[in-house]
Amino acid sequence: MPDFTIHPASYRDPSGFVFRHEDQWYRQLNTAYREDYLRLMDSGLYDELITAGLLLPHREVPENFTDSADWFKTLLPEQLTFISLPEEWSPAQLKDAALCTLAITRIAIDHGMILKDATPRNIQFPGGRPVLIDTLSFERYDPARPWVAYRQFCECFLYPLFLHRYYGSGTHRIVSAWPDGIPAAITARMLPFRSRMRLGAWLHVFLPAMISRRTNKDAPLPAFSKTRLLHLLSNLEDVVRKLDSRAFRDPGWSDYYEKSILSKTYLDEKQALFTSMIGGIDFSSALDLGANNGHFSRILAEKGIPVIAAEADWQCVETLYRAGGSESHPIQALCVDIANPTPATGFDHRERSSFSDRAVSDLVVALALIHHLVLGRNIPLPMVARYLARLTRRWLLIEFVPPGDERSMQLVRNKSAYPTPYDEAEFEKQFSAFFTIDDKAPVPGTRRVLYRMRKIPIFA
Amino acid sequence: MKLVLLYLDPGSGSYLVQAIIAAVLGGLFYIKSAWRKIRTLFSREKKNQENEKENA
Repeated sequence: MPDFTIHPASYRDPSGFVFRHEDQWYRQLNTAYREDYLRLMDSGLYDELITAGLLLPHREVPENFTDSADWFKTLLPEQLTFISLPEEWSPAQLKDAALCTLAITRIAIDHGMILKDATPRNIQFPGGRPVLIDTLSFERYDPARPWVAYRQFCECFLYPLFLHRYYGSGTHRIVSAWPDGIPAAITARMLPFRSRMRLGAWLHVFLPAMISRRTNKDAPLPAFSKTRLLHLLSNLEDVVRKLDSRAFRDPGWSDYYEKSILSKTYLDEKQALFTSMIGGIDFSSALDLGANNGHFSRILAEKGIPVIAAEADWQCVETLYRAGGSESHPIQALCVDIANPTPATGFDHRERSSFSDRAVSDLVVALALIHHLVLGRNIPLPMVARYLARLTRRWLLIEFVPPGDERSMQLVRNKSAYPTPYDEAEFEKQFSAFFTIDDKAPVPGTRRVLYRMRKIPIFA
Repeated sequence: MKLVLLYLDPGSGSYLVQAIIAAVLGGLFYIKSAWRKIRTLFSREKKNQENEKENA
């Protein structure tokens, strides 16, 4: 009996599938993909993309683990420690993923191949830069035909970036609402009138919205050429490059530490405490909740471990992503609202797992977060404690922000009800149901307290 | 991980769109390069004139 499990999202492409065998992810290529795979490897395309850092490297394994009659090859791709979803990316990440997709398409054309699909779901950021993870996306290029994935590229990358450019909503919400891409007709109705002044919007949004999408199989396909396709690609690159977040540079939390009246001394004191507390424990992965601009995520990344930084504000995530982590261990920067984390989605809820299932780490850090959850979002302390116990394998580093704190008072100023009691004693009592308090120290100059807690193993 | 949306029916609509866009971009490219040629032609004449003046 062959021992393997097919990835629940890997059912669409007849060329092959991804499966798990003895703690490793493999990719099987079926005989249907033989010709395209040999072209990818023999044309020099694979080597060029690997050198450019645009494709996830793999090696061939001479085993048919699945025992299937259709088997052609088994690939062992470089293993990814974390899968992020475009529903969690900041606009800068979606933009870089779009440019990566276009760059790959251009290189592929030079080698007589082209991308047959262009979805952000095929892109990951293992080294802090976008790479294509789907080796089966390449097919032979026919210069007489336009780009088969053009519409998908527009719906999944270009239209969310256009909408964000005019509304500053971040792209993650648009991608969440339209996981398979937002149609041109809907985008055209949502874009403001002034967007019509841009040739790019006119060509790639309003024109497709006007042309019927009904497939007329009898209509002859218009003639195309390589030159035309290259024009189209460089225009798309131009348009994508110009779509940025510059128009939305204020609000949110991105300047929390700069503007906070608690200021520099507070940050220095907290950093000193933080560093000494993580110095004494052993962990090989970390999750920073409410990471803000990633100040503490970077300290964690310097330890040479994978770090996930979750933050609800897309501007912070964009700043964090641009700044990166240490070179060898970059930070996975994600737009996630802790009170409403990314759900499990796709067919049977199994194609893309939830944030809480993917983000489990040895150490969870929650600095200046608890008052937002309890006072801001009315989540009772025991529920917060239980959720954090779910996310951490071992350690929790949490800052308690008391009710008398200036920030806490801001949160409840116009509220008639929030979970009570909310104080240090109640906090310790509720968290003690899931954790043992290992270390505790006040942050000098404030009434805030930093705790190091160890999860009670029974909740493992 | 294979999280692909296989999308093999772009329809003649998408092909037509690309054909129109390519035609527009091709036209713009042609105009741009023609304009560049005209400009270099004029600047060369200007330079020649200036050179003649200097030589005179």
